[in-house]
Amino acid sequence: MHVLLCEDHDLIASGIVAGLAAQGAVVDRVGTASAAEALLKAAHFDVMVLDLGLPDVDGLKLLKRLRQQGYALPVLVLTARDAVTDRVAGLEAGADDYLVKPFDLRELSARLHTLLRRMAGRTVNRIEHGALCHDPSSRETWLNGEVVELSRREQALLQALLQHKGRVLSAEQLKDSVYGFGDEVESNALNVHIHYLRRKLGNGIVETVRGLGYRLGPAATCEQVQP
Amino acid sequence: MSLRVRLILILGGAFVLIWALAAAWMFRDLRGQMMFSLDQRLVASARMVAGLVQQLPQPLRAQDGERISADQASIPDGMACKVSSLRGEILATSHQGVEAALGEEGGGFHDQVIEGEHWRSFTLSHGDVRITTADRQQEREALNQSVLLAASVPVLVALLGSLCVLWLGVGQGLAPLNRIRDALTRRSPDALEPLLVRPLPAELRPLVDTQNQLFLRIGQAIERERRLTDDAAHELRSPLTAVKTHLQVARMTDGPAREAALANAEDGADRLHRTLDQLLLLARVEGRLAFEENGGCAVADVARLAINDTSGGDARRIEADVADGTGQAPLGVPLTLAVAALRNLLDNALRHGGKEHPVRLEVCREGQHALFRVRDCGPGINEGELAHLTERFWRSSHSQGCGLGLAIVQAIVQRCQGQLEFCPMPDGLQVDLRLPLEGQASA
Repeated sequence: MHVLLCEDHDLIASGIVAGLAAQGAVVDRVGTASAAEALLKAAHFDVMVLDLGLPDVDGLKLLKRLRQQGYALPVLVLTARDAVTDRVAGLEAGADDYLVKPFDLRELSARLHTLLRRMAGRTVNRIEHGALCHDPSSRETWLNGEVVELSRREQALLQALLQHKGRVLSAEQLKDSVYGFGDEVESNALNVHIHYLRRKLGNGIVETVRGLGYRLGPAATCEQVQP
Repeated sequence: MSLRVRLILILGGAFVLIWALAAAWMFRDLRGQMMFSLDQRLVASARMVAGLVQQLPQPLRAQDGERISADQASIPDGMACKVSSLRGEILATSHQGVEAALGEEGGGFHDQVIEGEHWRSFTLSHGDVRITTADRQQEREALNQSVLLAASVPVLVALLGSLCVLWLGVGQGLAPLNRIRDALTRRSPDALEPLLVRPLPAELRPLVDTQNQLFLRIGQAIERERRLTDDAAHELRSPLTAVKTHLQVARMTDGPAREAALANAEDGADRLHRTLDQLLLLARVEGRLAFEENGGCAVADVARLAINDTSGGDARRIEADVADGTGQAPLGVPLTLAVAALRNLLDNALRHGGKEHPVRLEVCREGQHALFRVRDCGPGINEGELAHLTERFWRSSHSQGCGLGLAIVQAIVQRCQGQLEFCPMPDGLQVDLRLPLEGQASA
């Protein structure tokens, strides 16, 4: 899960970044609306956490502008204002969810997962794919009922593939899901993670689409896999 | 009692009373005139009969059983007439049975009771005959009654008509008041939009206009308070969120990450503490709560304590310069307030004045005031920001302060009759704080 955090308060931002990272998310933080727009153009994000009290542009205005520009990514609005009118204004501006400060980091994470789940059209958190089963919230993966240990990056990679079942994801998109914007990434890092993922979950889990990228392999192949 | 009922009771009561008195007066006169006219009729009839009797060919003789009938004498209905000789012989009579008793020896008017009936008679002696005309009191009264009745109907109709017109007129006259009342009852109790009642008479327009201005002012005040509460909630929730978030991170992680999270949580708690202190101070200053000291503290002490209390940056950057002879001058402001005001100015200067540049504090005496001049070499502020500087919870976009510092200074200055002046400089900002010396002001 690649999260764009737009929050001007340094202390709160560092807490959210550390907290979401500890729960397996990849977080990029910006402090202004203009930086958020720039980053959205530069990389792919799964979800956005937006604080309304930004110093340059009001958060709601930014949200409206993003929706007008066609950004469909789910947005969770954070605010210290809890009046009903504020909340309604937030939802009307295009927010998908709303959290009032102070909040619980686990709740924030759970809500972000729910937003992603809804985006993918699922009703339960757990993603099943043949013999493979993955829970994005608890970050656990099972193959034929057996727990499989995956590293943080492998988790993120698997999640991105499962989230976009059947769609081809470019190497760039996958990298965005696994690494933050500022992370130093070696050129073959993605291949290394895909290699490990195939070794742990079977060769068929990731299909290479030549010249385009990668996609999740068909469910049937998993059943035949015995890692 | 409603205004309408009151007006109608007062005006209607007066109407009825005046009309009743006028009617009573009229009826009394009418009755007098009526009786007089009926008496005149008796007199006229008697004279007429007397004239007729004289024109008869031979004088009347008393003839047994042969008398002039009433028809012959042309006597009007209901009126009795008797012609008798001076000796008392009845020569002619209109009514059998009563003639013997009718009339008196002397002439003129008489009231008599004959066979249980009241009569009024007039007797006229003319030549050798005596003529008596009479009518029944009962008939006179009946005639009188019918005339009075005829006269009273228009009076009553006019009175009722006036009362109706009064009722309608008062209602019409009070209609604007009713419209205002209806408009007020239709409003919800916390509605603040202006009353729209048109057209209004000139007397009521100022009332509604004043009311609307009041609504407007209350609305603005409520909106301002709501914004302030919102802002206060925001300012308190932000550091609280930071504390809570970092404590949760500390629980999720270990090693250096945990240490960093705990340090951040403490940082957040400090900010929360500062914001709370500032909010409470502002509430105390604006709420006119008394401070323990009453002033008398030396200017130099205020400067020293304020520099000690600064938290906006390295206090060693402050270069203080207290002019000769000013240091021991006593301020007419409670120590807490003077120190808080100066400390907030110094904090701002340290925060925005650039890390490398010094902050200058000059203290001197200026008339009856002590002048504290704080000068920083930061980016300064532009004209647009100048107007917002002392607003509560306003802060420049990059500031990490809580937005209350200068609002507090402003509140203190207002409370203590001091002055606060911002002078943007090409290379920074100069703030002049003037506080009254002892004996010049009361805080």
